[in-house]
Amino acid sequence: MQYYEDIEIGASRDFGSRTFTEAEIIAFARQFDPQPFHVDPEAARKTAFGGLIASGWHTAAVVMRLLVDSAIDLEAGLGSPGFDDLAWLKPVRPGDTIRGRMTCIDKTPSRSRPGIGSARFMVEAINQKDELVMRFTSIGIMRFRNPAQT
Amino acid sequence: MKYLEDFIVGQVMDYPPRTVSEEEIIAFARDYDPQPFHLDKEAAKQSLFGGLCASGWHTAGLMMRILVDNMIGQSASMGSPGVDQLRWVKPVFPGDTLHLRGEVVEARVSQSKPDRGVITSRYEMRNQKGETVLTMQAKGMYARRPV
Repeated sequence: MQYYEDIEIGASRDFGSRTFTEAEIIAFARQFDPQPFHVDPEAARKTAFGGLIASGWHTAAVVMRLLVDSAIDLEAGLGSPGFDDLAWLKPVRPGDTIRGRMTCIDKTPSRSRPGIGSARFMVEAINQKDELVMRFTSIGIMRFRNPAQT
Repeated sequence: MKYLEDFIVGQVMDYPPRTVSEEEIIAFARDYDPQPFHLDKEAAKQSLFGGLCASGWHTAGLMMRILVDNMIGQSASMGSPGVDQLRWVKPVFPGDTLHLRGEVVEARVSQSKPDRGVITSRYEMRNQKGETVLTMQAKGMYARRPV
């Protein structure tokens, strides 16, 4: 997320990638989502998933990290009020490499606070086989580069 | 064991509270959301939030843990297809105690796989002052009771 003026509606960009290890999947799940298919490879084999998979919240958190590392301008970004329509479409397994892609859907200047605007982005996580594993519509709040123009 | 049939539309559940510490907030942010207002007390004071606050994804993770410990862990859960809407309404600060309430809003059997179904629930998380900090509408897939 750049400054408001820099955001182009319809433009897509890729933002980094990360490989999930079994150890990380289990560590996240022990803390936040200790269901058998996220923490126990043996038990996971007997479930509908057929093996250990990452918590969907872990996938989302990793995508957030990729966004912070390579897409959000820390001077411009002011946080987010939330997201809509998050879908976990395919499991993420140990060894999978996930890359991020974001596409701006629309943007609006704030009516109450000059110099600030918001934009909606479709955020997608794609694995090494080019399968879409997760998607959501994110809302970001950001500063204008030139607040005087608002 | 809680099966699909055991979720009744209108059912409300209050979950045990969870307090979040500054250490936890910073540890999560280091790994997943290293923005200044989640990581650095001094920088956070200058931000719109007015002080160090938890990553929204951390708050969501804490909510998930409360649900797994108190409901999903004792259910025939088959994972989740997704979240319809989530809003971070107010920041979560160190020392805040979070109270989660959930309500079942829809229950339906899968048409393609009749051994399971999807439950839609609405959640609201409040802090110790009674302020809403997070709202979410999400789906969970559950097995039907074996006959």
